[in-house]
Amino acid sequence: MQKYKSLFFSAVKPYSSILFLNNKYAGLLLLSITFLNPSVAISGVFAVLFSVLFADFLEFKESYLAQGFYVYNSLLVGMGIGFIFSPSLTSLALIAISSAFTFMLSFMLNRLFSVYKIPILSLPFSLVTMFVYLASLKYSGLLSTLVNNTTHYDIALPLVISAFLKSFGTIFFLPTNVAGILMILLVLYFSRIMVVMALVGFYFGVLIHSLLIGSFTQALYDPYAFNYILVAIALCGIFLLPTLKNFFLALVGVAISVVLTDAITILFNYYSIPVFTLPFNITVIVFIFILSIIYYKEFNMEIKSTPEESLSNYLSKIFRFGTLYTKISLPFSGVWSVYQAFDDEWTHKGEYKYAYDFVKKSDGKSYKNDGLHLDDYYSFGESILSPVNGYVVDARHDLVDNVIGEVDNINNWGNYVIIKSDLGFFVEISHLLQYSLSVSVGEYVKVNKVLAKCGNSGYSPEPHIHVQAQEIGALGGFTREFNFGEYIQNEKLILNSLPKKDELITSVMNDRSISSRFLFILDDEFKYEVFVDGVKKEDVSFVVKMNEIGEFYLEDKSENRLYFYNDLKQFYFYNYEGAESYLKRLFILAPRLPFVSSQEVEFKDYLPVYLVKSKLQSMLIVLMSTIKKDYYKVEHVYSFDGKTLSSKYGEVTLEAMKKGYVKIKYDNVELRRVI
Amino acid sequence: MSKIKYQKPTINKIDFAMASKYGSPMKTQKIRSEIDGVKVSDLTQKYGSPLFVFSQRKMEELYHNLHSAFSSRYPDVTFGWSYKTNYLNEICKVYHDLGSIAEVVSEFEYQKARALGIEGKDIIFNGPYKPYADLKIAVREGAKIHVDNLFELDDLEKIADELNMKIPVAIRINMDTGIYPQWSRFGFNYESGEAYEAVKRIYDGGKVYLNGLHTHIGTFMLDSNAYKVATIKIMQLKEQVERDFKSQIDYIDLGGGFASKANLKGVYQSADVIVPTPDDYAEAITNVIYEMNKSENLPKLFLETGRGMIDEAGFLLTSVHGYKRFPDAKKGYILDAGVNLLYTSTWFNYNIELDKRYEGDNEASILNGPLCMNIDVIEESIMLPPLNRGTILSVSPVGAYNYTQAMQFIRYKPAVVLIDKDGQAKLIKDVDDLGTVNHKEA
Repeated sequence: MQKYKSLFFSAVKPYSSILFLNNKYAGLLLLSITFLNPSVAISGVFAVLFSVLFADFLEFKESYLAQGFYVYNSLLVGMGIGFIFSPSLTSLALIAISSAFTFMLSFMLNRLFSVYKIPILSLPFSLVTMFVYLASLKYSGLLSTLVNNTTHYDIALPLVISAFLKSFGTIFFLPTNVAGILMILLVLYFSRIMVVMALVGFYFGVLIHSLLIGSFTQALYDPYAFNYILVAIALCGIFLLPTLKNFFLALVGVAISVVLTDAITILFNYYSIPVFTLPFNITVIVFIFILSIIYYKEFNMEIKSTPEESLSNYLSKIFRFGTLYTKISLPFSGVWSVYQAFDDEWTHKGEYKYAYDFVKKSDGKSYKNDGLHLDDYYSFGESILSPVNGYVVDARHDLVDNVIGEVDNINNWGNYVIIKSDLGFFVEISHLLQYSLSVSVGEYVKVNKVLAKCGNSGYSPEPHIHVQAQEIGALGGFTREFNFGEYIQNEKLILNSLPKKDELITSVMNDRSISSRFLFILDDEFKYEVFVDGVKKEDVSFVVKMNEIGEFYLEDKSENRLYFYNDLKQFYFYNYEGAESYLKRLFILAPRLPFVSSQEVEFKDYLPVYLVKSKLQSMLIVLMSTIKKDYYKVEHVYSFDGKTLSSKYGEVTLEAMKKGYVKIKYDNVELRRVI
Repeated sequence: MSKIKYQKPTINKIDFAMASKYGSPMKTQKIRSEIDGVKVSDLTQKYGSPLFVFSQRKMEELYHNLHSAFSSRYPDVTFGWSYKTNYLNEICKVYHDLGSIAEVVSEFEYQKARALGIEGKDIIFNGPYKPYADLKIAVREGAKIHVDNLFELDDLEKIADELNMKIPVAIRINMDTGIYPQWSRFGFNYESGEAYEAVKRIYDGGKVYLNGLHTHIGTFMLDSNAYKVATIKIMQLKEQVERDFKSQIDYIDLGGGFASKANLKGVYQSADVIVPTPDDYAEAITNVIYEMNKSENLPKLFLETGRGMIDEAGFLLTSVHGYKRFPDAKKGYILDAGVNLLYTSTWFNYNIELDKRYEGDNEASILNGPLCMNIDVIEESIMLPPLNRGTILSVSPVGAYNYTQAMQFIRYKPAVVLIDKDGQAKLIKDVDDLGTVNHKEA
């Protein structure tokens, strides 16, 4: 039974995928809308069923089918055939043949395209229908329904509006404004951004087209205008994030697709083949191909079920964790000062601009006495700590430390160590004290591990620590942009940032007694008694679970899920699924917990708006943040003293040697840990 | 313009290896005209010479550096101020105010700590010799007794009977950490099984119980790895004891011995190069505890630091009384402070700084003290420009042991000044006089 249920849903989901949605109920609704043209509906259903059965026959893994896109191309092909041929045994046979082919072609193209991280979209559909339509010129036995199409369902609306709705309906081979209205309402329910982009895409495309062909009405009547809609949604909402920048990019895409549509129409008309979605496919694939290769910043790396969700996810990620992937910790302990920052006056230039120099200072000076002796310098002989977890790949420490006033411009880098971070990039640290290295090549080091001492070897006018991130593990490799994951400045914990020149910063040492309390293991259970105004109300428990893609979360009895991660410097929550619950509260109370205990620190965090705002407010905020990202940036201040994490929302308390939180408190509610 | 004084010509060796295009830094003079903003000349003028001067700012800085290296890595760490390093009341107070408890090794130091208002429970009582009467007082006051030998254990059991209580104790362990000399004089040996036997003896007796393990592997330790070895052995013993005797050891005490940035004689490299940093020590110790802890609770960590927290904060100001040219052409200065105050000159080359810049070339000079003893030499050979009578030399680091080991020999013990955080100098011990010395005499 379960199998049939999941088969059924794999059959209806592709309907929603065509509109970039990922919802089985939307699929079901769209399926019913297609019955406006029974021929299209029946052919579509048959194509999907046949593909699913075919996949089942091949014993395809269910997870493949769950993704939907292997099937939706078959669905489109089926509907495309149903659009021109009435259902008959022969047309069904044709559908069966072409949907099996489409299914396989989809799979194949996806494998090839995924190498370049580009989606197949409806390209298989475009190709297969092209073949089918060409072939069908010979199949005189099939009865064409093209003549008596479904325009008689149209309701009276001004042409300007009707043309858009018709165009929208055409995506499902239903060129009627009724289908268009139903479909646009459905999309509106899920995503306002998509509707806006559909409108913008259509009218902008039509405008460009009318300028080119000289007739607005003719442009409105173009049967392939739906390509503009698809391009606009795909480029500003689905594959690229719905931002202002991408909005303009989408307009460019729409304009390109106008010309492509005309060009392909002329070519295909020779053979009486419809153009369908080919212009959309070509435009979007070209855009995505190039943008993904250049690591375009506003590329949607994690496609969620709607553009709103994608944007929300992206924004809370960049505000909370920074835009940069390359993060390191400070290479020292205690308080140091920035001697040179990025792109600075002396040596951090050009390809080597992404580097930092640090010195230790006292009363604003880096040395005592006249500063003529190496031992006068506060930095000299201080420990250098590993800024990352990783392997030592190269090191040298035989060079002498220059006396003050001399530099070694042959061995610029002096004594150095290069570490390959677990995250893939390399970190190079220079000017180590002679013979001070306490790690060896090949050794695995954890963040904060003592590596060597600060010296004055290489091109170093005074003892200092030079640190840079590199693409490659060779000495002198070009630098790569990075930031510091955490440091303390004026009792504030600053995250994912870069201190400015001459600023005094304190490094954050990892307190393992805290971090070990957040090494949760699957099935760890946290039981709490809930007290309201001091009176016991109920028991709750949170259990550690993992989903199929390896994400960990806490789950309560009502299956609300709070996703967490421990990156060995901090423990944080990053996603919540479910209704109002204690878990949701926990996210608000303790969105992140830094493993720092030496002093009380204050830090800022930015919660996803859906946590703290009403549904309507969140909807508006997300919509506004498409234009200006900062609308999403709602700052919350937390302070942590090694035991209690508190904010205006309430507090959570930790206890030595006990995993997780022992107390969770907000308003008049208190959760006390039982086990 | 004043007339340039005649100087007898001398021949000096020029060391080319050290010369750079900016001139040789080795030729320059080390100048210290002030300590924390207070002029050294004002200090000697007001409080006399010689004079011990302590910088509270530096003391706190050293404390915080060392403490934060540990506390940022480990949640429960307490420092015990090692009284023998420097037990001047005001000095002890600074460390107690910073959060240190007291670590004493005699009844005298114990009384001193109590007189400063430190409660018994905040005193670690160490040492091989604890007189019975005083041990009993310490037990009654709840001090942390670190047992050194079986005789002391007998004493404790007797006290337990007398006071009708079960006494919590820690035992001192000595061990091989690859360090020479091995401090096997104190406590019970680990490798021979003596330590385990002592624990067994404690539980067999049933009158005292073990709640701490203590080791102190040496002094001026230049190898942080030795602490790693020591911590491994202590943690192994802890696990063994907890398992075999179904008990819980609350704390481990890894003693002190952290080196300061003083220059040991016979060591070529500078202190910055060879002395481990607080990070080195802290990492060596805390990593092992985390990795080896099998108990439900992490043990409390005690450290008995002395030298590392004060040595660099102490200066001895001494004045040039006169000079002469010796038959071997070396210049010898007579200072008003000698080995009577600088007991540690046997092992360390001090950093000697001048109160101002002096004209003339550096030459190898000898610094002699005021004692009428041939051994009273502070520096055999130091490059100095010609100094005048009254030149004030700052000798550092002398914060650790020098005052407590300074002898009332031939001359009186000098005054001590503490410069507080606001840069205000205050006298914390006046210079002795005949009354002090004759006080207990017939």
